[in-house]
Amino acid sequence: MSRRSYSRHIPDFRLITFYAENTKSAVHAMSPLTKSALLVMVILLVVVLTDTYLLIALFLAVLLFYVAGRLPLHLLIGWYTLPVLFVVTLAIMFVFTESGTPLLSFELFGDTVNVTDNGLLLVLKLLLRALAVVTFSLAVFMTTRYSHIAHLATRTLPRPLAGIFLLSYRFNFETSDEMSDVMDAMYSRNGGLVKEMTRQTSMFAAIFGLAFVHAFERAERISKAMEARGFSGEFPMMEHLPRPSLEGYALMLIVAALFALATYSRYVENLMVW
Amino acid sequence: MAHVHLEDGAFSLEWVIIWGLIAAALIALALYKLGGSRLPTRRMAIAAMCVAVGFVIFQVEIPIFGGLHINLTPLMGILVGPGLGTLVVLVINIFSAAIGHGGWGMIGPNAIVNVTEVLLGYYIYRLCRMRLNAGRFASGFSAASVALAISALLVVVIVSISGLQDSTQTTEETFANMLLLAAANIVTGVIEGFVTGYIVSFVGKIRPDLLEDAESPRSPGDEEQAEGEGATRV
Repeated sequence: MSRRSYSRHIPDFRLITFYAENTKSAVHAMSPLTKSALLVMVILLVVVLTDTYLLIALFLAVLLFYVAGRLPLHLLIGWYTLPVLFVVTLAIMFVFTESGTPLLSFELFGDTVNVTDNGLLLVLKLLLRALAVVTFSLAVFMTTRYSHIAHLATRTLPRPLAGIFLLSYRFNFETSDEMSDVMDAMYSRNGGLVKEMTRQTSMFAAIFGLAFVHAFERAERISKAMEARGFSGEFPMMEHLPRPSLEGYALMLIVAALFALATYSRYVENLMVW
Repeated sequence: MAHVHLEDGAFSLEWVIIWGLIAAALIALALYKLGGSRLPTRRMAIAAMCVAVGFVIFQVEIPIFGGLHINLTPLMGILVGPGLGTLVVLVINIFSAAIGHGGWGMIGPNAIVNVTEVLLGYYIYRLCRMRLNAGRFASGFSAASVALAISALLVVVIVSISGLQDSTQTTEETFANMLLLAAANIVTGVIEGFVTGYIVSFVGKIRPDLLEDAESPRSPGDEEQAEGEGATRV
């Protein structure tokens, strides 16, 4: 977490960019095209795989990829908070209502509530799937330079969307700095000690409202400056996108083959017999 | 949270594709309404700034109920209109997926939920201001609360129709299981409604022109289309 981050459980964009631009590792050296293709395949694999052991193996492989990028493991645990929260809030009731062998029983409002093995397994699998993709996604963004992300965005998104994406990527830093300054000012004046809900809400709303007004004013100034400099809607790319190496192609081929195998096993004939 | 984002692996491949296609159709419609690939620089910059602010605000924890993160998607709709708001929430979803707040494969269903919030936020606000002559705070509060309550139910409907992977439960059973989540989201949606009401009042006091589109008697989206066709805003 960088000095200006204000949440322990949401990845700090400035820190992500710092790792992408300044750290060197085998993963950093990998072509962005290889990493993007692998990200797509990891997403497809978590959707297709249903076997718990294979999902654990996939998660561990992804974690290894993250470690190979020389990225901070201790921060990753904090960053898992939100994905875990999302999965648990989505699936918590299934722990009690999914059919299966009861592992734990307790009385609630006169009814017997059971925690079943299949319910727990369902949550475990959803967590493994979510965290595998989160870890790989963070690894990709923390090892890919902005210029390469810009290339990928212009190639994959429609022109207006690519424009919005690239501009907002740059604006993120300035906006987060401004928000940090306002938050610092508020906390230094004991604003954090206000406990009353209405006052908290109105205080934060004023901060957010100010951020929006500043954003609009800045956007108007920037658009005039861009047009004055002859902006045509295209963002010129100053660097070439490195093509995948032979090893990169081999890695993509292996993961694609695993995906094909997993798809066949899921939809045609089950091969996962342990 | 004001609403739950779905993570990768929750749905089977066929449902990921179906929701993705529906979301793609909504985005294509928004792009068409905005004039295709000819998005004026001013609107592009405003959208990008909204993405940046929305993304940063989401990272701020409001110390209510032990910590609350809000997305302000209905407010985006009120401020930038339904067309541009749709693109804004899509890009926020892309950024969010990059940091694990919602899955990449779930950008489709998450975008459907967020676009619904944008559309409802904008149209309910217009309805309250233009037809019911309500004040800015009341209009903003109603627009955001209703939009978030409906989107919370939409999440339940999407999950119930798709079914969670590895779950043996029927659509009805899944629906019943998800109602608790919807109730929690509706409560936090009311808090976001208050925040939206305050922000709209605040913006209305110092820059009322930013609410011009949502408060003007012109038919909704006219301005977007006019700007998309290259007309100059007066």
